[in-house]
Amino acid sequence: MSMAPDYPPDGGRWICALCREPLEQVKMQVFYLNSAFDVSLPSCPRCGITMTPKSLAEGKMLEVEALLEDK
Amino acid sequence: MKFDQAHLHEIESRCTQESPPRCQGLCPFQLDVRAFLAAMAESRHAQARKILDRALPLPGILTRICDHPCENACLRQGLGGSLAISKLEQHCAAVAEPSRMLPLPPKKFSLAVLGSGLAGLVAAAELARKGYPVTIFYRDEITAPLVTRFPSLKADDGLAADLEDLSRLRVTFEESCPDAALLARCEAEFAGVLLDADAARSLAPQEDAIDGVTRHWRGNVCCAGGLGRTPTGHAFPEAARQAGEGRRAAQTLERLAGKVSLMAAREKQQGSLHVSLEGIVPVPRVEPAGGSYTPEEARAEAARCLQCQCLICVRECVYLQKYKGYPRTYARQIYNNASIVQGFHTANALINGCSLCGRCEQLCPEHFSMADLCRAAREDMVARSYMPAAAHEFALEDMESASGPECALALNDVSLSEGAAPAWLFFPGCQLAASRGEQVIALHAHLREHLPGGVALYLSCCGIPAHWAGRQAMFAEHSSVLLKQWEKFGRPGIVAACSSCMKALRLALSEARVRSAWEILNALPLPRRCGTDFSEPLSVHDPCTARHDAAWRNAVRDLARKCGARLEEPRLSGEKTSCCGYGGLVSCARPDLAAEMSADRAAALPHTALASCIMCRDRLAAQGKDCLHLLDLLFPRPAMSGKDAAREKGPGLSARRAGRAALRRLLRDRAGEETPALQPPGMRVPPETLARLEDRHILLDDVTQAVAWTERSGQYFENLENGHRLGSFRPRHVTFWVEYSREGEGLVLHDAWCHRMKVPGSGGAAVRKEESA
Ligand code: SF4
Ligand code: SF4
Ligand code: SF4
Ligand SMILES: [Zn+2]
Repeated sequence: MSMAPDYPPDGGRWICALCREPLEQVKMQVFYLNSAFDVSLPSCPRCGITMTPKSLAEGKMLEVEALLEDK
Repeated sequence: MKFDQAHLHEIESRCTQESPPRCQGLCPFQLDVRAFLAAMAESRHAQARKILDRALPLPGILTRICDHPCENACLRQGLGGSLAISKLEQHCAAVAEPSRMLPLPPKKFSLAVLGSGLAGLVAAAELARKGYPVTIFYRDEITAPLVTRFPSLKADDGLAADLEDLSRLRVTFEESCPDAALLARCEAEFAGVLLDADAARSLAPQEDAIDGVTRHWRGNVCCAGGLGRTPTGHAFPEAARQAGEGRRAAQTLERLAGKVSLMAAREKQQGSLHVSLEGIVPVPRVEPAGGSYTPEEARAEAARCLQCQCLICVRECVYLQKYKGYPRTYARQIYNNASIVQGFHTANALINGCSLCGRCEQLCPEHFSMADLCRAAREDMVARSYMPAAAHEFALEDMESASGPECALALNDVSLSEGAAPAWLFFPGCQLAASRGEQVIALHAHLREHLPGGVALYLSCCGIPAHWAGRQAMFAEHSSVLLKQWEKFGRPGIVAACSSCMKALRLALSEARVRSAWEILNALPLPRRCGTDFSEPLSVHDPCTARHDAAWRNAVRDLARKCGARLEEPRLSGEKTSCCGYGGLVSCARPDLAAEMSADRAAALPHTALASCIMCRDRLAAQGKDCLHLLDLLFPRPAMSGKDAAREKGPGLSARRAGRAALRRLLRDRAGEETPALQPPGMRVPPETLARLEDRHILLDDVTQAVAWTERSGQYFENLENGHRLGSFRPRHVTFWVEYSREGEGLVLHDAWCHRMKVPGSGGAAVRKEESA
């Protein structure tokens, strides 16, 4: 199953509120029901908190979740 | 209900949609009359001809002489006259080129036909088409037996064309008088022999020596095609029967040659196709003005065919229409789904889309129940853990919350002395409590005023969501809680105000007397302020869970009339009522489909609707349908006109939960016990934002919690362009994202979304817990 790999924020100039650092696209794995997927998500280079943009949550992610649930 | 092959066959065979229409059932060749007439109605003659040629072994001869038993059974008979199937066949044969049959690779068994009568030629053609080498033995003139019986063939070129076809299929014609010696020779030399009982009359046995179905006589000999006899003994030709016998004999010869059982799986056992003739207007049969049809006449006549189908249930159900099939095909898909070990369960959506309303069972002449099938399938999915978690999660959590400490409440009648058992227990149901707290209180007060023996109150969910979701264990567990509470009250009679609750309570508390509030109220003095300012009639909408509860439905009508309402019955009412889209948790698993169901029902109610279930009322209102609840007539809300009450939208998902908690607090306070109020969220949620949350089934509670966590931890993102904050929280198996900003002292919510996937670095503390677990 493929997810287009790079998901930047949906718009705006976002920083990590604690570290005051601008976000970077970081490659990582997300998980669901025994499956893992490679994606790049906006993340704080210092503390590592990571953002899931709404367009991803309500688009590709929802699609993949539904697919895996029927498996 | 078990999911095995035998059971599948038992279930699917109840649906008759795949049974042939009456015309086809009576055709000795099972001609697909419907498809033939559909093609003829559009002048697709080549297509129509192909259908004829495929079914009829001798199309030239049979279209000319068949005495068309199909027409005797046609359902148009009383509606303008049977279809002129035979004349249309002749028209088709005249205007369309025959489609050439390709011979199959030759088979190894040779077969003999004695006598070139109708049955003999039909059997020869049937067998030759399948690749068997066939030899026909005839006397003097091949065509003589046919032309004698059916003189109309004399001037017809169909006969010659069919004989030519037989030669092309490598049938051998041998002139040799069919006598006892020849029969004996053939029995020895061929794998099977057909004796034409008309053309080789002298050799044919008495009819009762022959098996009526298989036409088997003895050894490897079949016999077919004798003349018909009147009761007075007069002989006459009967083309369809004779040809049909020839065909069945051919099938038997094939079995004899291949040493297969003569009877096994010969005739498919199927119920006869049910066809509703409701609303069909008569159209007179088109007779050819000249001797035969013109193309226009043929088209018009063929267009009279009703294209007989059942689909009685499908026609009324939005859900059954959705997947382009009918219960028989759906049953197969559902069983296939259950037998998948690896791969995708493609029928999950089908199984979770049924509202379990039971109308199909009511409408179907065979009482096919999609509801039973789908609920059993859900139980199976749960038991074997492939029910998608997301399908019913929201409803099940809602059930838990409605039965949990925040919303549930069991209060004895305060007028009873400490510890005394009440005669009655009022169970309003969690959805009525969520939507109509004040009317619940008013109804309870009225019951207490008029019912002797005291009326206790129990706020809780009845557990029907677990039942609908196929979660038997959860339902049983919930039932045991209800049971304990009921016994604690001393097993009082139960008064329920929701028909789904009644269903669940009757399952859960099998020994309890469960009556509807309407039935009880109908026997009491009317509430003082009851009545309506509505003068137009109301369309009564029965909840689907009261389909089999006549007492509920009658009491609703009685009470409404006593309150001064004028009632009208919609087309589908009472036992045939439609589901509003709440049933079976469709609104949870398939919100899109549930909305279509509501819209469909709303459109079928000509006037302002009158509902007696709060979910029906709120769902219809959500579709923009004016709709009252019976309580709006019995306990009209102060300073609210009937019109306004009918127009009012019901509360959303978050407001429902808040409504339950508020009602509980109110009743608790009145009963003299304090409960701490919910924490004020301190956050403004603009109505557009709330509407978006509701669409996504995101609760304000979850959002508030996420914001609280984010603010406390300081872990969030900040948008330098507008100051928005974005944080996330994962309390269970869902991560909630909240986008909000400061507004004076408080906060304002801009958006929220959620996902089930685990994303490292988000969701707060719970993420780490879940990961390490
Ligand atoms: S009503 Fe529906 S289930 Fe029943 S026979 Fe007809 S198509 Fe089949
Ligand atoms: S109406 Fe059409 S399909 Fe129905 S019985 Fe008559 S010919 Fe057959
Ligand atoms: S929604 Fe109702 S009528 Fe439709 S299939 Fe399900 S139980 Fe039958
Ligand atoms: Zn940081």
